[in-house]
Amino acid sequence: MTDSPLIPKEEIPEARHPFAEAWEMFRRNHAAMVALVVLILIILAAIVGPYLYPVDPFDMVWAPFSPPGADGFLLGTDYLGRDLLAALIHGARVSIVIGLAAAVVSVVIGVTVGALAGFYRGWVEELLMRITEFFQVLPTLLFSMVIVALFGASLPMITFAIGVVSWTAVARITRSEFLRIRELEYVTASRASGAKNGKLMFRVILPNALPPIIVQAALMVGSAILFEAGLSFLGLTDPNVVSWGQVIGSNRQYILDASFTVTIPGLAIFVTVLCISLVGDGLNDALNPKLRQR
Amino acid sequence: MEPLLKVENLRIELTTRAGVAPVIDNLSFELGAGESISFVGESGCGKSMTALSIMGLLPEKVGRIASGSITFNGEELTTASPKRLRDIRGNDISMIFQEPMTSLNPVYTVGEQIAEVIRAHQGLSRKAAWNQAVELLDAVRIPNAKGRVSDYPFQMSGGQRQRVMIAIALACEPKILIADEPTTALDVTVQAQIFDLLNDMKRQTGASIIMITHDMGAVAEMAERMIVMYAGRKAEEGPVEQIIEHPRHPYTRGLISCVPHIMSSISQERHALTEVPGIVPSLSDFGQNRCLFASRCNMVTQKCVDERPPEKPFANGQKAACWFAEEV
Amino acid sequence: MSNETLVSVENLGVRFAVKRGGGWGKASYLYAVDDVSFEIKRGETLAIVGESGSGKTTTALAVARLVEAYQGKVNLDGTDFLSLDDEASRLARAKMQFIFQDPYSSLNPRLRAEQIVREPLDSLSTMDEAEKKEIVDRLFAEVGLRPEQQRLFPHQFSGGQRQRIGIARALATQPDLIICDEAVSALDVAVQAQILNLLRKLQADLNLTYLFISHDLGVVQHMCDSIAVMYMGRVVEHGTRMDLFNNPLHPYTSALLSAVPSVDKARREATKRILIPGDPPDPVNLPAGCRFANRCPVAQDICRSQDPALRDVKGGHKVACHLVGEDAVSPL
Repeated sequence: MTDSPLIPKEEIPEARHPFAEAWEMFRRNHAAMVALVVLILIILAAIVGPYLYPVDPFDMVWAPFSPPGADGFLLGTDYLGRDLLAALIHGARVSIVIGLAAAVVSVVIGVTVGALAGFYRGWVEELLMRITEFFQVLPTLLFSMVIVALFGASLPMITFAIGVVSWTAVARITRSEFLRIRELEYVTASRASGAKNGKLMFRVILPNALPPIIVQAALMVGSAILFEAGLSFLGLTDPNVVSWGQVIGSNRQYILDASFTVTIPGLAIFVTVLCISLVGDGLNDALNPKLRQR
Repeated sequence: MEPLLKVENLRIELTTRAGVAPVIDNLSFELGAGESISFVGESGCGKSMTALSIMGLLPEKVGRIASGSITFNGEELTTASPKRLRDIRGNDISMIFQEPMTSLNPVYTVGEQIAEVIRAHQGLSRKAAWNQAVELLDAVRIPNAKGRVSDYPFQMSGGQRQRVMIAIALACEPKILIADEPTTALDVTVQAQIFDLLNDMKRQTGASIIMITHDMGAVAEMAERMIVMYAGRKAEEGPVEQIIEHPRHPYTRGLISCVPHIMSSISQERHALTEVPGIVPSLSDFGQNRCLFASRCNMVTQKCVDERPPEKPFANGQKAACWFAEEV
Repeated sequence: MSNETLVSVENLGVRFAVKRGGGWGKASYLYAVDDVSFEIKRGETLAIVGESGSGKTTTALAVARLVEAYQGKVNLDGTDFLSLDDEASRLARAKMQFIFQDPYSSLNPRLRAEQIVREPLDSLSTMDEAEKKEIVDRLFAEVGLRPEQQRLFPHQFSGGQRQRIGIARALATQPDLIICDEAVSALDVAVQAQILNLLRKLQADLNLTYLFISHDLGVVQHMCDSIAVMYMGRVVEHGTRMDLFNNPLHPYTSALLSAVPSVDKARREATKRILIPGDPPDPVNLPAGCRFANRCPVAQDICRSQDPALRDVKGGHKVACHLVGEDAVSPL
């Protein structure tokens, strides 16, 4: 064809990674953006808070049940006269660390199991999925209580206990994504190009299976925080560290006399988990290619 | 005589993230009773959108009729109430789609689905409707109709499902049957059977057929008149034979010559196919006051870029929207 | 053009176990590809045509060892590709590449165009980065893409451009054989012409051999030197392009050809449409005789009782039909 000056050359767009477009989508979701900002503030408070507000949450600093705002304590004091604000700040660390670590544990176990099952099929899949089902039917709270009761209530053990009971959802999602993606032509194309199994599994299929796994992992952080709160409410926690659930648990007898000692940490859990859910929801929309076309 | 369907200066706007784009831009055409007409063009040229607008099925909140009119039997459709449109859809205008797998409800038998339409539109009893469903299945040449009427869609092949769709469309004895790429998902021997069936139906019932396709061969086989669409506009219109013989728009010429057709005798030598370079412009470029095909045309001049070409009529009934239609 | 045979496929068979009715009953087999043999000469194109369920795509996948064949040989340049061990067959893939049907699902959405084209080199060659880069640059030019497009991701390309990326990927290891599985059927007609012209130009420039799988007889007629027609897992007719289009012998081939709608008025008036009513038989419980007998307009008793073998009737024109005699005249 002739190179006519009237025929414009096609413009080359900027190279944009799929994740960059997902961020673009995410930014347009107002609720998720607000939640993300709140989450970042909470995490910041957990990291730098103890330095800016250097009060030991285990020190008895004042009379018990001092209401919020009174006597110079922003959130008041608990039944032993300990500063609730300090407890909240220190507790944020524990809650968030446990939430993240438990999510990591369950993602590592879940992705490994799901990937192997979905990629190799056959008896590998049969075996791994039966194991997954076994863990699925266990009463989760009871099982983790047993683990903690048996092996001691240290933070790593609590994290492990939560991770072990919640990886099944990740395994199932990973497996179904692998089953779907392994049939797509670009996987066959990679195989036709001489890719080995390891490469196919972890460099071709897994990156494409990530979106729903990321969403599930985000939601898992929230549920792990709730789980930890539940365990420490029942007293199954390391008594030397303060966490939100533990504050609620230790003040629960005084809920009628000084309800703020319970509602304030409860609110902290509620806001954090809600924000994580909203962010997870936003991620879900942003990473879903079907919605992106709109 | 008043045509059965008359579309005048139709403009349909689609709201996208990038803004509002005219997916159909100033389209006019007429369809007589018992006539068959084909819409041809690449994907994204507005063929299906035309069909949906006639059916009153534009995607809600996204697409709307901005101006122009669609009259069916003298009745204006663009301003008709949703109830009236539903009525017309059921009784006068039917549509069959490309994908016979997803257009049928998998949890009901094909007989139930056909009978339901018959009952809704003719008010027959359950028993009578069921008997008529059997008759219709027989009419669309499904072997052993009596036995197959209680099959579920998954028990049928793609071609049979498309026949069931046709049976449903015919159940209301429509005056117009719109077929949107009815055979694209089917094998060529099945396509031939469906085409035969549609042609027979047309002869027997006198219905008009609007067929949407990208296949010039199918047009030649099925239609009397064709409309070539490009980027939401009519590029060319006219009798099928004449257009294939001598297209008056460079786009039509490209569409015909870029496909390797099987001719009456195959010769040893083969020439490279004529290419239409580039692709259909994106929606954001629709609606400009210029020839939208200019960027892919080898006859382009300054004039094409400056102003939208008007439709030029020819003595044989052809009309082409090209500044140089006489020279093509 | 040399007369050297590059690929010869012998008695290839692929079967899938199907369980009917559940339980522990013995599995029966669906023979998707049943005793298929053909040869392709270097620099030529063999087309396999057929309708859905004919086994043409499974044949292509089995030749490339992307599905497992239970019997048969695929001799490529003298060695049987199917009998190699896993690692050897992986390395042999450099000689045989694949172009896929769907330009949307055949490219990994997480990789840049340049990484996609490089992938075979990363897996199969020992070149250094600079050499690979040079090859990728050359391939982009060869398939008609601009160098600036190398950094883009698949979703930023149109369907035709994506198919060009797929072609560049297939060319990366300088293969002898390229298998095109419905390589243009997902594209719009204008773009299809661009890709077909590109494939033919590359074939002439690089002396490529194509195994071209398609259901579109117009495209096949334009692309191939010889054709194999498949029906229900079998090759029913095999011959040169001229033989097959001008003198189809098997009734199924004739029906297939007559069903293609044509813009050529002369052809429309000359061909009488041969309708083949009904459906193909159940692939798990195949009939004893010819698999086409239940739809064949000229079937005789022998067709229902004896399975016809593929035999040479006239200078390489092969057909599997009892009713075609030594005179090579269509029974219709």
